[in-house]
Amino acid sequence: MPYPEELVAPMRAELTSLGVEELRTAAAVDTFMKQNHGTAMVIVNSVCGCAAGGARPGVRLALQSPNRPDRIATVFAGQDQEATAKARSYFSDIPPSSPCVALFKDGELVHFVPRHLIEGRSPQMIAQELKSAFEEHCVKA
Amino acid sequence: MGTFHHDKHELHGITVVVETPEKVFVGRCDDMDAAEVILLDADEHAEGQGGRSKEEYLKRAAKFGVWKKHARVSVPREEVAWVRRLSEFTQGIPADLKGGMATATAVAEPPAQVAAAPAPKPAAPGAQDVVVLTEAAKEEVRRLIRDDKKVGLGLRLAVSGGGCSGLVYKLDFDKKKDGDVAIACEGFEVYLDKKSTIYLRGVTLDHQKGLSGKGFIFKNPNATNTCGCGESFSV
Repeated sequence: MPYPEELVAPMRAELTSLGVEELRTAAAVDTFMKQNHGTAMVIVNSVCGCAAGGARPGVRLALQSPNRPDRIATVFAGQDQEATAKARSYFSDIPPSSPCVALFKDGELVHFVPRHLIEGRSPQMIAQELKSAFEEHCVKA
Repeated sequence: MGTFHHDKHELHGITVVVETPEKVFVGRCDDMDAAEVILLDADEHAEGQGGRSKEEYLKRAAKFGVWKKHARVSVPREEVAWVRRLSEFTQGIPADLKGGMATATAVAEPPAQVAAAPAPKPAAPGAQDVVVLTEAAKEEVRRLIRDDKKVGLGLRLAVSGGGCSGLVYKLDFDKKKDGDVAIACEGFEVYLDKKSTIYLRGVTLDHQKGLSGKGFIFKNPNATNTCGCGESFSV
């Protein structure tokens, strides 16, 4: 049962205001994922204050890194269900959780941060984890 | 980072491992009291199930999470050997549980609710041995100062209210303020305000690298209760 859009809108804006592309349909997800060159990050957003409340600011801090992914998108779990299911189909070996973050390089999943490694962590700690992944996979030669 | 549901147990919203003599459960803690531990979106695993030991199962679960088998499961408290955060298992079975995983016969109390914090012993502001940084922590701070262009700033360590266990550590780059304790630290200074000095006396700041590492870690000998991520504590 989706939450009222007026409640969710600020949570969407917290990411889209950073330039993160929001994918609302399965077709939009496919279009994003099929550009499978370079690095791409997909953030599964969530209303959960316990975890997503730290994840979104963590993403914001991480994106201050000079080594950020080439393309960044988000889907909203529980709200945009079709888009979320499609996004999860690109990492279907991993149990669904939200929020979570997936990093792809040339179409291959190279790093994944599930919910249980987000919940209880500060934005700074989440950002540090993401920056480490960026440094490993997103540095331009 | 704590939760926003003050009528629930401190682990509400956190993915936990619940060990019982028969099986281990992994799920998002909804609540916990004297009678039961309630998990949402939970899975369970018995020793040897699917050819995997509990330890092997938990190692994978800690990396990726678990597939939901139960929307809600209630584990009777008298069956519970322990409850731990799943994130504690990213490096394998925590040392204090090794040996207990195979038999799981010793039934210990699950982590207690946060007790009322006794007043900490006051420390003498100005002491230079309040906080110790490991070599790994110093190296990471120097790297951050260099890469994030924080030259001229020091590392501020502080404590404030909040988090799963009552108090939360804070770590930032800042200028020295009046009344701060300043600790020279091979290339930079560490600043602590007077209040934080009381809580941080004896603390060691470490740093774990790697994707599964926890980043900066506070090791506090005065903490009587810490949350699994190590970010918050009580004294």
